[in-house]
Amino acid sequence: MGALRPMGIERWWVLVFLTPTLIGLLLGTFGSIFATLGISFMDWDLLTPPTAAGISNYQGLPDDRLFMRSLWNTLAFAGLYVPLTVIISLFVALGLNRTIPGVSFFRVAFFLPTVSSPTAVGLLWTWIYAQDNGVLNEMITAMGGDPVRWLSRSVALYSVVIVNVWGAIGGGMIIFLAGLQAIPKDYYEVAEMDGAKSWQRLWFITLPALAPSMFFQCVLVTINAFQAFDYIYILTRTGNGNSTMPTLVFSIYRNGFRFFRMGDAAAQAVVLTCMIMVLTLIYFRLQKKWGAQA
Amino acid sequence: MFRFKRDTAGDLVAFTLLLIGALCMIGPFVWMMSTSLKPLAEQYDMRMIPQTVTVENYPRLFEIIPFHLLLWNSAKIAAISTFGQLLTCSMAGFIFAVVRFPFRNVIFVILLITLMVPGQITAIPQFIIFKFLGLYGTQAPLYAPAFLGGAFGTFLMRQYFLTLPIELAEAARIDGASLARIFFTIYLPLAKPALAAFAIFAFMFSWNDLFNALIYLPSNMEKTTLTVGLALFQTQYSGQWPLMMAASLISVAPIIIVFFLAQRHFIAGISMSGLK
Amino acid sequence: MKHLTSTALALILAAGTAAAETEISFMLWGSPQEGEVWSHIAEEFQAAHPDISVNIEVADWNGYWEKLRVQVAGGTPPDVFAMDAPLYPDWQSRDVLLNMQPYIDADPSVLEGVYPVTLEAYKTEEGMFGMPRDFQTIVLYYNKDMFDAAGVEYPTDEWTWDDFRAAAAELTIDKDGDGTTDQWGAWAEVYDMEPFWGPVIWSHGGEVVDAAAGTTLIGSEEAMAGFEFIRQIWLEDQSMPTEEQLSQYGWDGLLSGVAAMGFSGHWSVPEYAQAGLNFDVAPVPMGPAGRVTGVNSAGFVISKDSPNPDAAWEFVKFAVSEAGQSELANIGLAVPILESVANSDAYLGQEVQINHALFVEALEYAHMKPVFRGYEEWSGAVGDALSLSWTEGVPLEESLEEAVEYGDDALARNN
Repeated sequence: MGALRPMGIERWWVLVFLTPTLIGLLLGTFGSIFATLGISFMDWDLLTPPTAAGISNYQGLPDDRLFMRSLWNTLAFAGLYVPLTVIISLFVALGLNRTIPGVSFFRVAFFLPTVSSPTAVGLLWTWIYAQDNGVLNEMITAMGGDPVRWLSRSVALYSVVIVNVWGAIGGGMIIFLAGLQAIPKDYYEVAEMDGAKSWQRLWFITLPALAPSMFFQCVLVTINAFQAFDYIYILTRTGNGNSTMPTLVFSIYRNGFRFFRMGDAAAQAVVLTCMIMVLTLIYFRLQKKWGAQA
Repeated sequence: MFRFKRDTAGDLVAFTLLLIGALCMIGPFVWMMSTSLKPLAEQYDMRMIPQTVTVENYPRLFEIIPFHLLLWNSAKIAAISTFGQLLTCSMAGFIFAVVRFPFRNVIFVILLITLMVPGQITAIPQFIIFKFLGLYGTQAPLYAPAFLGGAFGTFLMRQYFLTLPIELAEAARIDGASLARIFFTIYLPLAKPALAAFAIFAFMFSWNDLFNALIYLPSNMEKTTLTVGLALFQTQYSGQWPLMMAASLISVAPIIIVFFLAQRHFIAGISMSGLK
Repeated sequence: MKHLTSTALALILAAGTAAAETEISFMLWGSPQEGEVWSHIAEEFQAAHPDISVNIEVADWNGYWEKLRVQVAGGTPPDVFAMDAPLYPDWQSRDVLLNMQPYIDADPSVLEGVYPVTLEAYKTEEGMFGMPRDFQTIVLYYNKDMFDAAGVEYPTDEWTWDDFRAAAAELTIDKDGDGTTDQWGAWAEVYDMEPFWGPVIWSHGGEVVDAAAGTTLIGSEEAMAGFEFIRQIWLEDQSMPTEEQLSQYGWDGLLSGVAAMGFSGHWSVPEYAQAGLNFDVAPVPMGPAGRVTGVNSAGFVISKDSPNPDAAWEFVKFAVSEAGQSELANIGLAVPILESVANSDAYLGQEVQINHALFVEALEYAHMKPVFRGYEEWSGAVGDALSLSWTEGVPLEESLEEAVEYGDDALARNN
């Protein structure tokens, strides 16, 4: 990656441009990274002063049923959600970067789910997934199939992945649409003179040039996958505030804010953050490899 | 918009696929609209086309909730936050993408980690920091942080600036332009699509923020935001879905407007030759 | 330190200028409408105490507990805040609440005429750290129109669970003949014990939990009989909608007009009336061990760090006085704790005309909803295990065994 080395007065500009971020980072790191790490080594019920707990909060994690269930649910969810969201939103953006009639309408249409309130749309999804007269089951029975219990424990994972992907395509589309605008036209003009076919232009120009956006999108979608909450909770909640498909942030929230165990919650948050970091590192390697191809 | 050749077949396939996709996307949303037009007695009638159409839910909503106050509070906070975020994140993103300086990668990685830590744990430490800074009891905790950069925006802008060829900056520098000049006259104008994308996100994040508004603002309707107002309102009108659908449609309208205005900037690629 | 100086400061100010204002904050969960009623109560209070002003904060149920925790943890708790009895031990045992006993001892008249059972939950060895403000007894709600249409007689106070089951089966109807049920005889929230399974277990002679001993007691034969009854009416007769079906109707089957009966406290009255339901209430049916229902209460607590505990206590006292209770009765969400108000027109003569007296009579056969440290975690653990039988076809013996194990674990973790 080429970059400028600042000289003389330019160093001051670097500092000026970065000052807000550095102040924010200073406060933010203390408020988030150090705080979470620190709390994870303490027992804290929020109401009385915290006490040192060593690594006991981490040791207790494998025995925490809610946490273990949440961990598997979250991993399974992310495994489906991340690739689906990234790939579909990329293709939507490629499609909507073309000259097609009503392009603004299409863009708004794909964006709408992103802004829909989960509480309100959640009800409609229960209608779509309804066992008796739901839209999906009506279609299945019309084609001669057996109705599916979409929100039962064994199927709920797939059902909530669909809803979450539905809600996330719009965000990914925006990122990729913006990224596509940064690719110089000249690249395509040269390629066309060389007689490159459209798939070759996609593979050898667009995708490598889009690598930074792709990296961003993968990291973001992964973070969202590991922190997914709204739709999953609304579709799987039970009368006493529990969920039949608990996810990691649900477990963190319940432990910290409901069960008075902020230390355990923080330990879970550290585990969650580490998993996202590992995945980010993998994406970074892939991006380097991919970028080198260009 | 540019085309290389008459790629009609490709366009047609893309168009058809997009149309099917778009219908799936807006289906639930249209259903929400139609439910907001149903009378209460027919709210669980799951048909997409209402048996009886009524618009009474909308005027009723304005009687129940002081929408004008709530919308104004939310809009004010979201507009200030969006401005602060666009400014500070694009500056930082530019530096991270274009300039090499000590600890660049370390700082950037730490920044990214702040994005990965779930907010449930950090709420209380952050409250204590705001209290320490004397900002508790004001609206500042809702928009002041927007002027201190942020991982999401900085990351987004950095990635966009990375897509632009570094030769742009190098050439300008040889001509004697300062970093500030390179940023404001070359990179920022070219970053319109990314700024537009980021503006949509920044506005949306601020607009949808329930937790911070709940914690830092008093609950009275003159001071609080739409998200908090709607949560309170749902306590009283739970089970009245047409009203709730209408309320949530009104509350997302401003984001859709922002999106519509911003998405016009997603057009055409840059041209290197035009910049030299 | 800070708290000391501010108290000292307040004292100096109070000594210096007689009319110096003491400001206290009161936070509660509820709707904007409840907030307005409380503002009104605060105004009346201020008329009687010109030197104290009350700042009211309302939040929705979830938001309330989040905001409260952040404020308390952040060192700026509200002076007075609302408390739900089952959650009270979690807060009381962590030393953040003010002991009200000295105030009560100084003025015992404050407890006169309060239904004694409502005080139970707030008592500790060191005294009371909270005051109830209202109570909730669980009763059987029924939709009169559905009973009339099906030609079924309204529930009576002679009803047993078997009568309930028979009526529910009769009221379960496939109206359009498409093979799927359109109206169910009853619905119930089956995860938390409060509205349904608690009363069922108790009236079958079972017990739910002994928190002091750290044991969950729903594994007994009697409790088993109660759960078996639920299994029969729900899964065999299919007279009650499944959780998945309920979710399509926003959870409350009676409110959404798909179920003829349901179990709830007084909090449902305004909601049902607003939805235009033609409904009334009957006592919870009798089981082999007689008739038992549950009672729960919401109350007030004062923060231990409140700089103005005296003013805060005055406000609490006013809210549980006849004047305050009469105002609260008017909201119609709960039953007043004062006998005099519960038997007065302020409560009995509410706008929504149903058998309001029944909620008070129910106290005679009411069992207190268990109140112990870690209630929420225990409820979640037990509900989760039980749900395996309700939704996944796991035999009751197995899920109960698991519920007891998980419940005991949750109790152990909180003690």
